[in-house]
Amino acid sequence: MSRSYNFIDHTADIAVEISGSSLEDLFTAGAEAWQHSIVDEIKIEADDFIEIELSSSSKEELLITFLNELNYLLLTKKWLCISIQALKIFDDIDECELSAELKGIKVKNDIQLKQEIKSVTYHQVEIVDANGNYSTLVVFDI
Amino acid sequence: MNVGGIELIKVRENLWEIPATGQMRVPGRIYISQDMIEKGMKDNEALKQVVNVAHLPGIEKYSLAMPDIHWGYGFPIGGVAATNLDEGVISPGGVGYDINCGVRLATTNLEYERVKNRIDDLVAKLFRAVPTGVGASGAIKKLSTNDLKKVLTKGSVWALENDLGTSSDIDFTEESGTLKNADTEVVSQRALERGADQVGTLGSGNHFLEIDVVEEIYDVKVAEVFGLFQGQIVIQIHTGSRGLGYQVCDDYLKVLLKASSKYGFKLPDKQLACAPIKSQEGQDYLAAMQAAANFAWNNRQVIMHLAKKVFKETFAMTETELGFKLLYDVCHNIAKIEKHKIGKEEKEVCVHRKGATRAFPPGSKMIPAKYQGVGQPVLIPGDMGRYSYVLVGTDKAMEETFGSSCHGAGRNLSRTKALKYAKGRDIVKELKQKGIVIQAKGYKTIAEEMSDAYKDVSDVVDVMHKEGITRKVAKIKPVGVIKG
Repeated sequence: MSRSYNFIDHTADIAVEISGSSLEDLFTAGAEAWQHSIVDEIKIEADDFIEIELSSSSKEELLITFLNELNYLLLTKKWLCISIQALKIFDDIDECELSAELKGIKVKNDIQLKQEIKSVTYHQVEIVDANGNYSTLVVFDI
Repeated sequence: MNVGGIELIKVRENLWEIPATGQMRVPGRIYISQDMIEKGMKDNEALKQVVNVAHLPGIEKYSLAMPDIHWGYGFPIGGVAATNLDEGVISPGGVGYDINCGVRLATTNLEYERVKNRIDDLVAKLFRAVPTGVGASGAIKKLSTNDLKKVLTKGSVWALENDLGTSSDIDFTEESGTLKNADTEVVSQRALERGADQVGTLGSGNHFLEIDVVEEIYDVKVAEVFGLFQGQIVIQIHTGSRGLGYQVCDDYLKVLLKASSKYGFKLPDKQLACAPIKSQEGQDYLAAMQAAANFAWNNRQVIMHLAKKVFKETFAMTETELGFKLLYDVCHNIAKIEKHKIGKEEKEVCVHRKGATRAFPPGSKMIPAKYQGVGQPVLIPGDMGRYSYVLVGTDKAMEETFGSSCHGAGRNLSRTKALKYAKGRDIVKELKQKGIVIQAKGYKTIAEEMSDAYKDVSDVVDVMHKEGITRKVAKIKPVGVIKG
């Protein structure tokens, strides 16, 4: 298991290259990059969980749908995902599915959000599989 | 001139054409100076997007870009494209995430010299009255789903019906603040949830509320019609449809990605997802986008009402004494069905304006009667340390750009670079020395939004002025700034 994310300079928004040794690692790297963009290091432990199931017609769309789900939970439900457990991704030709248990906290005044991500975009997202190392660029519209 | 492999042919001093090649259905045309190309277009990404847009089914005449062109999602920012209603498409990438992001400007009877010692006080009170920053909420009580749906259907008329505006405010808003074919049934529950407590909030990023002073008048006759005079205090508001609009865009990108595949469109960029305007998917997006646009007009209306209240209380003046009047409200992220001349005939087209402002000419029936003798006010915000402009629409805009002009300055530095530039500096103090009082949720926003991070908006409006698309009427400069 290995994963990483690397922010690259972008004039108007946030662009990040994510990679992982599996689709699960890649998606987790994306979630970590998303989290890093909106909050500084979190010192509070998760005390709540939410189960999610998502589906899309491609793994790229599934990644964006997944990251936008985290964004929706934060901005609308005031619920911040801290870690992802039991993440499973099924990549079929016609449909991709994801299930996970998100661990997180209800956001109160003790957490200062750095910025608002309007949405995670589809711009230039293309998951490349180089001998089991998955990578893509993801751009957050802020 | 060749920019990264894309050939630009000079048509006029500030107009360049990308000839239609390959599968492009029309040529691209960019209003920009040679100097701006050489200094500001280090790569060809935004130009590639002009080319991509030229591939859209049903596009008429040109894929256009204004001088504030820069890279966006799908369309470039500053992009304008009209598609015909028969085989043409509609694309959320031609509108943007912040549906009906726009600007309004209100005038007052106040003169800067008489109120300059009260700016600190005004800024502090405005900052308390108008919620700003990430996920800002609670300007007015959280709306029930039923009330929110009324906002989405009625636009700023909802504010009028709830004592948050006047009939004059409605008259001086583009489309009178309501797009009539909005349909709440095609707006998702998630979008409704995101918007429920955000009416009357600025949000974050480049959105702002400014107290400005009219610094220079270029066209005395038009300025008089607009109610502007030198030294006058005016109020400028820049925001949009907040989380509700972002969610509508996000929801429909998914729907239209499927539709693109269903209708056999080969997209060079997923963010150009689109559907025929006549199709169910296209009609649903149009109706949901109109609902979000109505939310945005109402949002700016409520913010202006809150600001007016602060002014009335601070100066202990009646509304008449204060003379607080909406000059105009324009949107710069929208797709609208409008009549334009294509060849020899006038026909209805869907005009996408993504970071572009409608700029209708004198005589247009689509603008308030008061302005029909001179043309539509076009409001172009700059940055918080320099100036913004009031322009006026012309006949040439109707002939060449589907009645459209530029929308702003555009960033010059990324937020990360801006923070590096700001290191060791006190931006608040620097602004204070220039006579500008600023208040924001955090210092980081102030540093990210500093003047150095933006291009000079005067370069942008000068191109439009020289090409006769819009003419300069007045320059306004900030003295008080509220940032998200």
